[in-house]
Amino acid sequence: MMDVGRHPRVELMTFSEVETVSGFVGNFHVTVRKKARYVDPTECTSCEECSKVCPVAVPDEYQQGFSSRKAIYIPFPQAVPSAFILDMDNCLGNNPIACGKCSDVCEKKCIDYDDQDELVNIEVGVIIAATGMDVYDPTEYDEYGYTRFDNVITSMEFERLICAGGPTGGNFMRPSDQERPKRIGFIQCVGSRSRDGRGNPYCSNICCMNTVKDTLLLCDHYPDTESSVFYMDIRAFGKGFEDMYMRSKEEGVKYIRGIPGEVVEDPKTGNLILTVENTTTGKLEQHELEMLVLSQGVIPRKDNDTIKKLLTLSSTSDGFIMESHPKLKPVDAPTKGIFIAGCVESPKDVKESVTQASAAAARASILLNAGKTKVEAITSQVNAELCNFCGICATVCPYNAILAPDRKAKKPPTIIQAACAGCGACAAECATDAITMRHFTDDQILAQIDAILSHKPHEHLITFACNWCSYAGGDNAGTSRLQYPTTSRLIRTMCSGRVDEKFVIRAFKMGAPMVLVSGCHFADCHYISAVHWTQKRMDRIWTKMEKLGIRPERLQLEWISAAEGQKFAKVMRDLEETVKQVTMEEIEHSMKVMAEEEIRMAEKKAKARPKPVAEVAV
Amino acid sequence: MAAKEFTFRCLKCGHEYQGMYDAKNVTERSCPKCRSNSIRRLPAGKAAKK
Ligand SMILES: [Zn+2]
Repeated sequence: MMDVGRHPRVELMTFSEVETVSGFVGNFHVTVRKKARYVDPTECTSCEECSKVCPVAVPDEYQQGFSSRKAIYIPFPQAVPSAFILDMDNCLGNNPIACGKCSDVCEKKCIDYDDQDELVNIEVGVIIAATGMDVYDPTEYDEYGYTRFDNVITSMEFERLICAGGPTGGNFMRPSDQERPKRIGFIQCVGSRSRDGRGNPYCSNICCMNTVKDTLLLCDHYPDTESSVFYMDIRAFGKGFEDMYMRSKEEGVKYIRGIPGEVVEDPKTGNLILTVENTTTGKLEQHELEMLVLSQGVIPRKDNDTIKKLLTLSSTSDGFIMESHPKLKPVDAPTKGIFIAGCVESPKDVKESVTQASAAAARASILLNAGKTKVEAITSQVNAELCNFCGICATVCPYNAILAPDRKAKKPPTIIQAACAGCGACAAECATDAITMRHFTDDQILAQIDAILSHKPHEHLITFACNWCSYAGGDNAGTSRLQYPTTSRLIRTMCSGRVDEKFVIRAFKMGAPMVLVSGCHFADCHYISAVHWTQKRMDRIWTKMEKLGIRPERLQLEWISAAEGQKFAKVMRDLEETVKQVTMEEIEHSMKVMAEEEIRMAEKKAKARPKPVAEVAV
Repeated sequence: MAAKEFTFRCLKCGHEYQGMYDAKNVTERSCPKCRSNSIRRLPAGKAAKK
């Protein structure tokens, strides 16, 4: 961080928050709130005279509350810039009873109680999100007594207690009596790999090796310490990790396979009695420990939703930010010009974070050096003559790639080609068909429907499959040699959000017994939130079908991921049966009413479009 | 607009259940009985048509 702070071409804005981000790749406009520090960092020499006289003491967040800090303080020893900061929430200086002691002793006179936040506008070409993670709070695991027993601590708290720069100056001691504990237990997977509704189902990746490292630290600093690790399984998969794990075992650390069910405290000694079923021996064991460390998991930052909104990103079901492609574009965000690195994407250790950050920096510099970018060949375009300026396209665009139209000025929407990713949701939602998606035009897709249903239509299930997930799921079923009926005819769209109501109407008009729309699961949508519009549209179409006397069951919706070949095959088998239940009378009825509906919709669209100038003049 | 309660109907197995819907925060639907995603949000007042 010091190096970054000193670099002539890096402007480091600490104690600042990004407020807004607009624009697109190569042209992002970012507003940053530089929070008031109340101390001029360019003048402050970190002489500490101010904090010596400050009468306020509050728990030090950096030291996990084991020690206190003053209201004027340096957040942590390596903070950049190395200058004091005033915590105005706790300072007495601005309260009715003014204190002002820090200002009195400051020789450089760099304390300003009236300092204000500053909004800074910057223009950037690319953005890398590396906003990190939070740690899991183990309070809900009441059986471990984290909130009840002083000597039950988290791995973060252990880190501070054993650190030379920690609250005890590296003198390792337990909280209850400030004595050095000699029997220490570690419980793994606290809040990770949990299926009981508490914590999270995923593996937090770093906790096993963090505990192995902690046990080695104890062996090194205090050879008379007995350490026991209670675990499900130790995941030591990185380079050199297995050696480290073996070394810990050779040093005498006991690894006991089993997650404790209960921890009680001996009130006289403050020691902890832990009961665990050792699954290797099948016996119930009790261990008396002087300190217990809960190896807490890693969770997404609480403000990840804000980051998602600012940068138009999406997250996976675990709450971490989703990458553009898990294998081929692991540091690219789905929004062009935005990259991700570190624990914002998933839990990872330092080495992996550095690797990812280096990759993100390289990906970013490729774009910056080129000074230009290739746009997708499948972007949308607006036919200004057909637009009625309703602005729905700008609302549905997950990438904010459409500048809304101006009805008064009769200005149609503008599609920023560099930002458009080609999901086609705008084209599907446009009420006047004023938006065309290149290479996936209405005419092209309608022609496919017509061709498929030109022969024995009542035998064919029309399936719209999104390029990234459902179509790939079909591929997966094929390469896995899974058997499924041949009733279905697939029409590929880039996203299920492209499936226009008129495609469904045309399919039924042409005699299809059933239609299936399939796309990515919400968490996997390659177009951020375009899939939300698929679901909303389906609700509308089902209601319309019911009004027209067509069973809504004849239009099915399934979310099938690229890995779900099994699901794809099962859906096809199930629908084969459902197709057989559709009667010829039903098909004839839907052909008739959907033909009428198609005409009605075309008329409605023609009415909604602006009148040609000549016509208005007449 | 806050989330409102609606009736959802599975178009595969016919199962109906109550759930919240927020147009601003659409979530993936899946039938609690048969896991199908063909879940229709019934228009208000159209619930439990059995
Ligand atoms: Zn069902």
